[in-house]
Amino acid sequence: MTPEPTKQWKSLLGIAAITATLFGMETATSMVVPDDLVFDVNSRVEGVFPETWIHGSKSAMDNTDPAVQVHRYNAHTYILRENKAINYEGAFMYLFFGNQKALLIDQGSTSSPALFPLRDVVDGIITAWEKAHQRTNTQLIVANSHLHGDHYAAWNQFVDRPDTLMVGLTHEEVMAYWGFDDYPEQRVTYDLGGRQFIVTGTPGHQSSEIALYDTWTDLLYTGDMLYRGRLYLEDWQAWKASIKRLRDMADDYPVAHLVNNHIEMTATPTIDYPIGTTWQPDEPPMQMTLDMLNTAVSASTEIERPGIYKYDHFLIYNEVPWAYTTDP
Amino acid sequence: MKMHMRKHPRRYLFRLTFVLAALAFTNIASAHMLNMTHIEVQTQEIEPTKITLRIDLGQSLMSADEYWTLANAPSAEQAMLMRNVKEQLDAGLRFEVDGTTASPTLQSWDFPAVSLAAIENPLTPQMATLTYHLSAIPRDSIGVSLADDFAVPWPCLVRLDIAGRELPVSRLLTSYDRNSGSVALHGATTGEDVDIGALMVSASQDWLPSLSWVVIGFQHIIPRGLDHIAFVLGLFFLSTGLRPLLLQVTGFTIAHSLTLGLAMYGFVSVPAAIVEPLIAASIVYVALDNLYASHLAPFRMLVVCAFGLLHGLGFAAVLQEIHMPQESFAQALLLFNVGVELGQIAVIAGAFALVGAFRSRSWYSSGIAHPATMGIAGVGAYWLLKRTIF
Repeated sequence: MTPEPTKQWKSLLGIAAITATLFGMETATSMVVPDDLVFDVNSRVEGVFPETWIHGSKSAMDNTDPAVQVHRYNAHTYILRENKAINYEGAFMYLFFGNQKALLIDQGSTSSPALFPLRDVVDGIITAWEKAHQRTNTQLIVANSHLHGDHYAAWNQFVDRPDTLMVGLTHEEVMAYWGFDDYPEQRVTYDLGGRQFIVTGTPGHQSSEIALYDTWTDLLYTGDMLYRGRLYLEDWQAWKASIKRLRDMADDYPVAHLVNNHIEMTATPTIDYPIGTTWQPDEPPMQMTLDMLNTAVSASTEIERPGIYKYDHFLIYNEVPWAYTTDP
Repeated sequence: MKMHMRKHPRRYLFRLTFVLAALAFTNIASAHMLNMTHIEVQTQEIEPTKITLRIDLGQSLMSADEYWTLANAPSAEQAMLMRNVKEQLDAGLRFEVDGTTASPTLQSWDFPAVSLAAIENPLTPQMATLTYHLSAIPRDSIGVSLADDFAVPWPCLVRLDIAGRELPVSRLLTSYDRNSGSVALHGATTGEDVDIGALMVSASQDWLPSLSWVVIGFQHIIPRGLDHIAFVLGLFFLSTGLRPLLLQVTGFTIAHSLTLGLAMYGFVSVPAAIVEPLIAASIVYVALDNLYASHLAPFRMLVVCAFGLLHGLGFAAVLQEIHMPQESFAQALLLFNVGVELGQIAVIAGAFALVGAFRSRSWYSSGIAHPATMGIAGVGAYWLLKRTIF
């Protein structure tokens, strides 16, 4: 039976009211939806480093630390560290957020999702970040500082992740993604959803390595080519040129800190922890200073032959087998 | 200690597991991954596919002493000394060409070693190089996998250089993921028009387990397919009986599967600017039909099927953005569709769970079906206006 005309009109009015309400709600919502995040190139946004990083334990049995330490450097920058009790590399990884995009640099030294659930940790950070900033559908870009296995062991954890772009693990894929036509000399501007990075080539430790300068935080990320530890250099001339490129970058852009991938030094100048150490109670900070970069630049002009050279904050292993150590 | 173990057995079990796991990883940790394994596959148009394996044999398939002996033996003796290793490699390394297992033939080898001490130290890996040929020339796809009982210094990086492609493809094999999946040889991968982003997404999706497409299909209904949910609910609230509801949903499903398939294979192409407003209009139509029709008209089934064709085009537009793998396109499409159907069934099941018990009540129509249908019509009208005017 067809409804009475009055009822029909009432229904139509009801439908119109619902439609109007939805438009009203959309208007109200649009007024509270935040605009795009602004990553100002011209003013530095500070962040904080932890007093100390989780640094392993005397025995793995006593270790109750998380497999991945998550440190929020600032609202849109996270630094992650692999538990040294799981893998002595204790590699640092970085997660940078821009509008609609997040960039994960490196995936640690352990493949096992059970031992090292990096994917879960990163997913958790992204979900919390999206909630905090009222965002959705952030695309994750999985990239690497360089192509050594201790920095992409957990790469496979991300291959079936939705909204994810895997840069790849060959030199050619890396070059194509960042847009290098003239590696390593070239500087490439990389846009992470409004957050600008300057990327340049820094071979020497490994022939596909890159450094990134974040124009928003003024962090200069130097990967494995300069950190507080044993700088294993397979190509001295390439490293020498790369250090100069970093210095040039620091001349052209204001640098707050140099950040990187490992800590292998003790807090005592010139003394490193032995290779394979899984407990480092006397670690120096991970971040480095421009003075330390200057020391590396000086070293690059002083050293002429293969060998191990000690400096206060790093050791240079110039084209010597990695097995040669300064360990007692 | 015993008392603690009684008090916190799970905690100690966890710690024990942690220690055992750490011990299992000792080799990797001490190796610093300098001696990780590399497999390079180079396909060619006419010549056999060349495979290069670089592996730290003295730290894996043979002892350091055995490798030292092998490295120093005259080349005539090496073939005999490596027989056992060759058998392990033959059994452990697996290649798939165009979906068929292919056996590589060992062509040459090189066993460098500077000293026994260097072989014994994973920080100075003495990497053996073995070169193979695959006589079967791949035309569509190639894949690499390692047998479950085959242990190499992990991880194992696979690099595939495919004839005619500008960029190589990388895959990582670990003791947890031993299969590269099938890598397609063809696709828009050369020239200046290459969309690196699409290429990377496509490459990563080569790894997607097939069932992921069911999940993706399901997610295109719940939670992403609000307009499809509204349409299915529209069908639900009109039909008081299960049979007409199932008939309509089946007709809708067959229709949208048809256009989804045709669109994905490129036989049909309708701009989203036309499809999306029509989908919204279909929701309004079904809802108004519910409100004003005195009975289920015979042509209603035809209308629902016609709307199904529209919705299929809508699914196709979304799916085309995902870059489905070329080598398993039909399978992925089918599984996506299965996911969509499961999503629709879940919507109807959810609606039944909520209001199904009241369908025979006298107030069901005026108290539930009518207001719900008005809501669906209101939402449909909102989408229609948004997609046409605003």
